[in-house]
Amino acid sequence: MELSRRNFIKFAAGGLGGTMLSPLPWKLIDDIAIWTQNWSWVPVPARGKFSYIKTVCTLCPGACGIEVRKVGSRAVKIEGRSDYPVNQGAICPLGMAGLQILYNGGIRWKAPMKRVGPRGSQEWKEIPWDEAIDELAIRIKGLRDKGNPEKLAAIDGNQSRSTMALLIKRLINSIGSPNYMFMPREEDTHATANFLMQGTNGPIAFDLENADLILSFGCGLLDGWGAPGRMLSTWRQWANNGKKHKTYLVQVDPRASNTASKADLWLAPFPGTEAALAMGIAHVIIKGKLYHKKFIENHSFGFYDWFDEKGVEHKGFSKIVLEKYSPQMVENITGIKRRVIIEVAKKFASAHAPIAIAGKGKGTLPGSLYEFMAVHALNALKGRVNKEGGSLITDDVPLAQWSDVEYDSVAKDGLIKERVDCAGTPQYPFSRSLIHKFTDAINSGHGSPIDTLLLCSANPVYTIPDSQSFIEALAKIPFIVSFSPFMDETSLMADLILPDHTHLEKIVDIVWPTGIQYPLYALSQPVVKPIYRTKHSGDVIISLADRIGGQVAGSFQWTNFEEALKERVRGLYDSGNEKVSWADIKKNGYWYIPAHSFGRWTDIFKTPSKKFEFFSTEIELALKAYSKEKSFDNALINLGISSKGDEVYMPHYEEIKSGADKKEYPLLLFPMELINLASGWIGNPPFLNKTLFNHQLKRDDLFVEVNPKTASQYRLKEGSKAIIRSPKGELKVRIHLFDGAMPGVIFVPFGLGHTAYDKHLKGKGVNPNKIIDQVEDPLSGQPVWWNTRVELIKI
Amino acid sequence: MKKEKYTKGNKYGMVIDLDKCIGCGICTIACASENNVSVLYDESDKTRNITWLQIYMVTNGKEFPETEVVYIPRPCMQCDNPPCVPVCPATATRKDPNTRIVSQIYTRCIGCRYCMAACPYHARYFNWFDPLFPEGMDRYLSPEVSPRMRGVVEKCTFCHHRLMRAKAKAYAEGRRDLKEDEYIPACVQACPTKAITFGDLNKPKHKVSKLIKSPYAFRLLERLNTEPKVYYMSTKNWVRRMADNYLEGEFK
Repeated sequence: MELSRRNFIKFAAGGLGGTMLSPLPWKLIDDIAIWTQNWSWVPVPARGKFSYIKTVCTLCPGACGIEVRKVGSRAVKIEGRSDYPVNQGAICPLGMAGLQILYNGGIRWKAPMKRVGPRGSQEWKEIPWDEAIDELAIRIKGLRDKGNPEKLAAIDGNQSRSTMALLIKRLINSIGSPNYMFMPREEDTHATANFLMQGTNGPIAFDLENADLILSFGCGLLDGWGAPGRMLSTWRQWANNGKKHKTYLVQVDPRASNTASKADLWLAPFPGTEAALAMGIAHVIIKGKLYHKKFIENHSFGFYDWFDEKGVEHKGFSKIVLEKYSPQMVENITGIKRRVIIEVAKKFASAHAPIAIAGKGKGTLPGSLYEFMAVHALNALKGRVNKEGGSLITDDVPLAQWSDVEYDSVAKDGLIKERVDCAGTPQYPFSRSLIHKFTDAINSGHGSPIDTLLLCSANPVYTIPDSQSFIEALAKIPFIVSFSPFMDETSLMADLILPDHTHLEKIVDIVWPTGIQYPLYALSQPVVKPIYRTKHSGDVIISLADRIGGQVAGSFQWTNFEEALKERVRGLYDSGNEKVSWADIKKNGYWYIPAHSFGRWTDIFKTPSKKFEFFSTEIELALKAYSKEKSFDNALINLGISSKGDEVYMPHYEEIKSGADKKEYPLLLFPMELINLASGWIGNPPFLNKTLFNHQLKRDDLFVEVNPKTASQYRLKEGSKAIIRSPKGELKVRIHLFDGAMPGVIFVPFGLGHTAYDKHLKGKGVNPNKIIDQVEDPLSGQPVWWNTRVELIKI
Repeated sequence: MKKEKYTKGNKYGMVIDLDKCIGCGICTIACASENNVSVLYDESDKTRNITWLQIYMVTNGKEFPETEVVYIPRPCMQCDNPPCVPVCPATATRKDPNTRIVSQIYTRCIGCRYCMAACPYHARYFNWFDPLFPEGMDRYLSPEVSPRMRGVVEKCTFCHHRLMRAKAKAYAEGRRDLKEDEYIPACVQACPTKAITFGDLNKPKHKVSKLIKSPYAFRLLERLNTEPKVYYMSTKNWVRRMADNYLEGEFK
């Protein structure tokens, strides 16, 4: 065929047409798409054998059971364990994002570090473990040689009953220092209220699962309170109970929180007046004689007027409540309508299994002692103490005791010295640790009374209210040692870093998880091998004691932490109820007694009167002791109590004092805790950032919730920039108009405003702790963190 | 569009009870961690970040203290009549005739984002950046789901790999049919309040089939005829009203 122009075009057109009809072009496009996406930096996850490891999440004292899916040696997913008594499959956002804590090299210390530049310059030198432990041992030995062992102190964030906490306390004490402190928490307030009214030392346990009416005074039951996994699965149970047996939830909250929104009834008294509301409810119950007569008459003390051994007449709880807390008076204090108070009281009184529970937010920070007592008094009025669906008094977990510490002469001399934080002194008779007093003690003197400070599982620079004062105090302490696995704010101010493993790399226990109604022992196990050169803090403490030598080493005869743990756990299988062994507990991750013996009112109260005490004899004893030093009136002033007479010894409402002028600072700052924002010592993992709304965080700006009415007084609109100013400092924020926020109150979330951690967290938002102007709670002396007076300035 | 009618095969669907949902965000996190979704440094940039399961917050608009907050978790609606499928020029997305799950094949996607424009639920996300797993965070990636690359669209797959896993197990045991709880997506498993129920809408005995008959069940933007297979439930009128755009007086 001749190759003419015509034929050439024919051939080319035919060829083109033919190719288009074939799959070739489509295949090519597809290939190009694939080829252009084949970048070497897109990760290809390694394959491997699947395995599932059951353990316990120890990120908070809730101790939920988790199951970790592993592929080869890597952990790839965390899921809730449905065969675990605490949480029954449910876990919280923080626990779910646990792998971002384990594998995020950007937030972790990878080896022991020694500071080389000036403090805060972040110049570090990696050192071997031996050298690091030696350095600390030599420092402590030096303190002991000079006869100043009390200059050693520790701030501990481990759960107070856990083996880690006991080990740290044992170390501090055996060296000869009384200065073992722990982070403030709500459990302490519950425990003190329990001690004052019921005489037992454990936390008050709440059988929420079996209650049919819950009167929650601020507990964010669905906002992460207690063990979040347990609360959320309990909520599921309530919701599934059907219309007939549905649990009725009354939530007292200044803001339309998740709990308030889901509650059957939401009450919003002015923040800090919850105790008055509880007393108002008590008034209606007492006036209508709706209380549990048998319990009140036979098993309670101080309800009716009474005479002491000297023949002096004392007013009873009932009289004071009837005199001072009529619904009208309570309406004036709390802002809750009289008829609502009466309605709630009647509902509470007529329910089959009501329970009143005090607390705030996630329950990680301490509450007001008199308020907790006032709320617990409601349980007593209805005889809900140690009853199914009520508040329970349980025996502690029967762990074995370690042998006693044998103190040498240096330790004995050191231990009789007074604690730096004044906890347990006549002025603070019921507190065991007061970090803000520790801060004051250091900041008020010229030199620091503390030479060496150990920090374990805590990030106080970030989490302590009024954090600026704490930072000042830290700067004065000559030597700071951090055991934190994370490059958090506090460890960045340390001189020596002895990094711990993270929760998925170590064996560690939680004794009686927070808020659980039965004594449970939870034990985690390592899921993956340590990925960096970190070391279990328990092991570090044991080898530290060994290197200090002498009697100190004698008190730590274990070779590693697991042995110390095992020795305590022996008590569980020796307690003899069931045949369990160490291997069983290690495999299951828990031990508990599910059956509880209810009632037993005749022998359950360990108070001096052997009854439930509306009139607390312990407070009377403490005040007597204190008034030997000071006049009675001065003692009351120093304790922060403004009421007089018999009311002092009984649950009542105390107005929170604030130094700030109400005219200058007309608004109230209320820090709030969100379930999807980790606000404790562990920084918020990146996954949780996905759940924050644009009205909470936008770029680096934090939004605070303000009622539209309040905002309009300041001519603030949605998204306006503003400054919150308190006597302690300023926060730059933006405004989110939220109808669910109480007028006159500014709600700022805890959990943002980190100055440490990685780019996912650092510099985002602001931290309300910075400007909290704390006052002391009457009697307990714990910091009041929810009552800072502020002003709002438009910018 | 012609409605396909077939009752054969599976019709996987989901019912989310908004009365039980407390907006904790666990489903979002479980989803991201199960499906290797990367996290931006600035997750507040909602036009660039990726959340296969996004939670919306709504309020009843009443004044204090009558205000109420409700959360609406939004995975891909897995429409039975998906608007995103016919617009795809690269056939990168399709509705599986056997499971009715709307799939997304990342390597085929050419990044034109027609599907994102078509989706009325904003359930599809574009990878504006290379996936970010800094400082060793790629160590938690699951081999069951391939990490995506810059320039492709991704979305919720009802955890399709979990279906594969369950099927493999069933086939090994000589079964062709899956049991009701054998295959559930990660969000359903993770929901601590069990607000999400998952199952086969073609099987009348499955819990989801019973739940969608409730008078409180509804779907989002139902009047667009996209036939979503994700149903919601709420006893609150104001919540159900928010699910679609109604004229005044139209919503009953």
